[in-house]
Amino acid sequence: MALEKISRRELMRRVGWTAGGLTLGAWAGNLPWTPAALAQDVPADASQAFDPSVYLSIAEDGTVTVICHRSEMGQGSKTGLAAVLVDELEADWDRVEIRQAIGDEKYGSQNTDGSTSIRNFYQPFREAGAVARQMLITAAAAQWGVSPQSCRAEAHQVVHRASGRRLGYGDLARAAAALEIPEVETITLKPAFEQRLVGQPLPIVDLDDMVTGRASFGLDVRLPGMKVALIARPPVVGGRVATLDSSAAEAMAGVQVYTLPVPEGAPGFQPLGGVAVVAPDTWTAMRARRALVITWDDGPHGGYDTEAYRQTLEVTARQPGEPVRVVGNVDHALEGADQRHEADYYAPHLAQAPMEPPCATAHVHDGICEAWAPTQNPQAAQSQVAATLGFEVAQVTIHVTLLGGGFGRKSKPDFIAEAAWLSQEVGAPVQVVWTRGDDLRHGYLHANSAQHLEAGLSADGKVVAWRHRTVFPSISTTFSADAKAPSNGEMGLGLADLPFDIPNLAIERGEARAHVRIGWLRSVCNIYHAFAIGSFIDELADRAGRDPLSLWQELIGPAREVDFGEVEISNYGQPLTVHPVDTGRLRRVLDATAEDAGWGRDMATGSGLGISVHRSFLSYVAVAAAVTVTAGKLRVDDVWITIDCGTYVNPDRVRAQMEGSVIYGLSLAFYGAIEAKDGAIVQQNFGDYRVLRLHETPRIHVRLMPSQGLPAGVGEPGVPPVTPAVTNALFAATGERVRELPLSKAGWV
Amino acid sequence: MIAFHVNGEAVRVDVDPEMPLLWCLRDHLQLTGTKYGCGEAYCGACVIHLDGEAVRACVTPVAKASGRQVTTIEGLSEHGDHPVQRAWREENVPQCGYCQSGQIMSAAALLAEVPAPTDDQIDQSMAGNVCRCGTYDRIRKAIHRASQEQG
Amino acid sequence: MPSARHPSPRRRPGLLGRFSKDLLALIVPAAAVVAGVGLLGCAPNGAKHLDSGEPLQPPSAFAAVADDAERSQAMFAEAARVLLHPRCVNCHPSDDSPRQLDSSRMHVPRVTRGTKGDGAAGLRCASCHQSENLSFTRVPGAPHWQLAPIEMAWFGKTPREVCEQLKDPARNGGRDADALVEHMRTDPLVAWGWDPGADRAPVPGDQNTFADLIRAWLDTGAVCPPDTTTPGAAS
Ligand code: FES
Ligand code: FES
Repeated sequence: MALEKISRRELMRRVGWTAGGLTLGAWAGNLPWTPAALAQDVPADASQAFDPSVYLSIAEDGTVTVICHRSEMGQGSKTGLAAVLVDELEADWDRVEIRQAIGDEKYGSQNTDGSTSIRNFYQPFREAGAVARQMLITAAAAQWGVSPQSCRAEAHQVVHRASGRRLGYGDLARAAAALEIPEVETITLKPAFEQRLVGQPLPIVDLDDMVTGRASFGLDVRLPGMKVALIARPPVVGGRVATLDSSAAEAMAGVQVYTLPVPEGAPGFQPLGGVAVVAPDTWTAMRARRALVITWDDGPHGGYDTEAYRQTLEVTARQPGEPVRVVGNVDHALEGADQRHEADYYAPHLAQAPMEPPCATAHVHDGICEAWAPTQNPQAAQSQVAATLGFEVAQVTIHVTLLGGGFGRKSKPDFIAEAAWLSQEVGAPVQVVWTRGDDLRHGYLHANSAQHLEAGLSADGKVVAWRHRTVFPSISTTFSADAKAPSNGEMGLGLADLPFDIPNLAIERGEARAHVRIGWLRSVCNIYHAFAIGSFIDELADRAGRDPLSLWQELIGPAREVDFGEVEISNYGQPLTVHPVDTGRLRRVLDATAEDAGWGRDMATGSGLGISVHRSFLSYVAVAAAVTVTAGKLRVDDVWITIDCGTYVNPDRVRAQMEGSVIYGLSLAFYGAIEAKDGAIVQQNFGDYRVLRLHETPRIHVRLMPSQGLPAGVGEPGVPPVTPAVTNALFAATGERVRELPLSKAGWV
Repeated sequence: MIAFHVNGEAVRVDVDPEMPLLWCLRDHLQLTGTKYGCGEAYCGACVIHLDGEAVRACVTPVAKASGRQVTTIEGLSEHGDHPVQRAWREENVPQCGYCQSGQIMSAAALLAEVPAPTDDQIDQSMAGNVCRCGTYDRIRKAIHRASQEQG
Repeated sequence: MPSARHPSPRRRPGLLGRFSKDLLALIVPAAAVVAGVGLLGCAPNGAKHLDSGEPLQPPSAFAAVADDAERSQAMFAEAARVLLHPRCVNCHPSDDSPRQLDSSRMHVPRVTRGTKGDGAAGLRCASCHQSENLSFTRVPGAPHWQLAPIEMAWFGKTPREVCEQLKDPARNGGRDADALVEHMRTDPLVAWGWDPGADRAPVPGDQNTFADLIRAWLDTGAVCPPDTTTPGAAS
């Protein structure tokens, strides 16, 4: 640890990391409970001779250890980020070990959300690799008494060009560690053509474990003496236990019953309360929970009914809202328009429903809490667990397992705090298991939304006015009782940043109160915004008697960076100067997709093509769908999807994310709906919250746009254009317009 | 005591005979490769083989295993090189990986009975397995590949 | 006569002969509509039929109907409350996939009959359904849980159509009258209808009353009710 030389400030200055203390190794939590398979972020030991960055160390045997501080949930960034670093380091991929980081602010943000892993850490990981490479070169040059410029790094060795002498990284590790860390400005990054891993398809590092059952997810954590807990949570958010008869449960061998504290104020990440059964194994816990007899006080949201609430949203959407972005004068332009067209769209609540439901294992002992969980955000978990236990953050260690999917659900650490609270009460390690029913009933739901759109068309079929009003309960309501309208950040998710060339534009929001916990779900508000926008353009094309593609192209307009004037666009946390809204890129993915789909070709009766394009998470994605309708039932035959996500690291994983986005998008378009009656969620399992299955899967054709642009999001931007492409195709096939999701509601699937 | 074989090894467990095999495997035999996804036979994350037939461990009482051969993903092949597992690697099927034990066990059961399945047969046999990450297209390709390789 | 839509691969002429000699001769023309049979809106898909919940009437309840043929029809209409109940028709589909719940929605996950009616390779009925109901997970089960052969498809049929099928050994599993009654009275999969587990609505009555109705229907000439008769319409 004497090798740890640079201060936090220096690190930030040198390699642009945005946060992070450098107390590497200060954490020395008890490891005996750690399942070896989790390969956690153990403190660097003597064999780790050289650790010039929080993300990297090199042992004397040459093993390169890369720390993965982001959560791996199927998006492949664990492999991708390591590849970025290892490529710059010029290390041998086969001699790399990847260790999952615990939650620690020294790594910078670990919130694996918003499709940020590659886009925010591509550059820091390149620099970390390049700095280390330079130091190894310097160390070798010193040993040989030659200039560093006469040496180069190559396949885990430094080579002296003139003499051909070579030294391995392991042999150089100690000497390199003794060097000052150079200024990052003095470091040269590899030119693109020298990159060996970046841009190449690379199998994910956990592939072998995943096909043999060895991969260890959150639910696979096993600790000696561990008990399993299930919780009967209040059916209505804000509800509490009125009466409890736990005698039958407590009569079961080894079962204990605990009543959790009632959360205070806005829900945030607090546990929901309720009654926990703690048992020797999962089956006993399941039986014990069912044996509880509980009556509930439902609290203020006991009357929540999604069908009635829908009316409320729709009424609001038809009244003037608060303008968020205004160009020209829409009212005036509508009056003068040759034709006017209006449409209302509705989309219901959704649940993320990752394949592995939420779960967590915690052990509170000797004044510390260790927890193992499939979390997208170990730092938030650390804070929430500390708050729940009354601990300091430093007393809490969050170990991140592999995630069996996340989709936003697992960035909310309520379930980890439940495990921690129970472990403290029980005095033993406790694993909290959420059943699928728990996952659907007690989630952080994707908002239900109503949108009202109006447009004016000129005599020659141009869109001269566009009013777009969106109404949905904001995610902010989960964190503040006062929040009552969509936030600016949410408005920026595919609406305020509308990229179209329309002279009169009004984007408005309306107020909506929440009666459930609202949370983010893969692509967030972009899903319903893209549905409304993509559908409405198709409607306008029909109204104007035009080809939808040509209208899309006209609305996108000439290649330019969209000027939003004074309006603040959240732009996924990036300045517009760095990541502008580039209509040229939008147009390119649209045209490429239209070409791939054979846009304009004759389709058989009952078949249709639909198209849509959307920018989100700084990436540009177009989707075309070919559908066939037989006896009133829809089948999606083919989907073409093109993404421009700037520079990408692992094309195979980008493709996989596009394939997955199509499936996720089709799932929500076909079946996605969470409903509430009397305050409680109706859906119980995959029987009534259906998701797409293999036999419904279309052929998926992915195209990746070559791009030198900055890395942009991949995990989420594929989802939003899927639904409108499909509903537009349905219209092309049948003349029937779908303005309400999911398609199952009207019996299309 | 309920006695059966798991991946070729004799085991005896002293548990509630109604306990689903899933929880017996995961909680009592420490075989966590078989996954929980729904607990009510909707998702296929828990598919194992009972005397060679694919069954859902979440709805199979452990008593049903008595005297029989249970095969889990851990025991599908000795070296992780069952043709289906090889094909899964070749096609880079997994994303998060969570559903894949069940997918592989279902696919292996299909191929054991139908060595060269058509797309339609794949649809029929794999409709019980959910993948939320959406790896279906590659699953289909991998099954065809495994079919060819097992020849 | 076998339905044109459902060719009967397992026709057994021998049985048909034996069965039909006794019974088919007694069939009265469909035009002989029983008085009092209402047009209660026959459910076209057979699935949406919701039973009245009244007790299943035994044969004795029909004693007042003097005419044998009318009584036969009425008793069959009563038995059809069982035959066309979702608990039964859900696994007597006219296509390759079972239905589920009282709404007779498509089975989730989608399953198909396979070559033997017991599911596809790797996705057999028995991969989830045990030989008994599971109380905790609610998965229904009974011995030899599987789909009825396609020639025994009842889903979406009227009582009359099912009646004709039951008399045709090519479409009733090759059963003669005694075997048919025996099957209705003792088969454990048939019995499941009265003990479906969880919160499923059972078929009305009890298995013996149902078998008695079938027996009595057969003994009164196995007359099929007219096209317009709905299940239980005669009771
Ligand atoms: S966990 Fe068994 S089928 Fe879902
Ligand atoms: S790979 Fe994630 S659920 Fe299938």
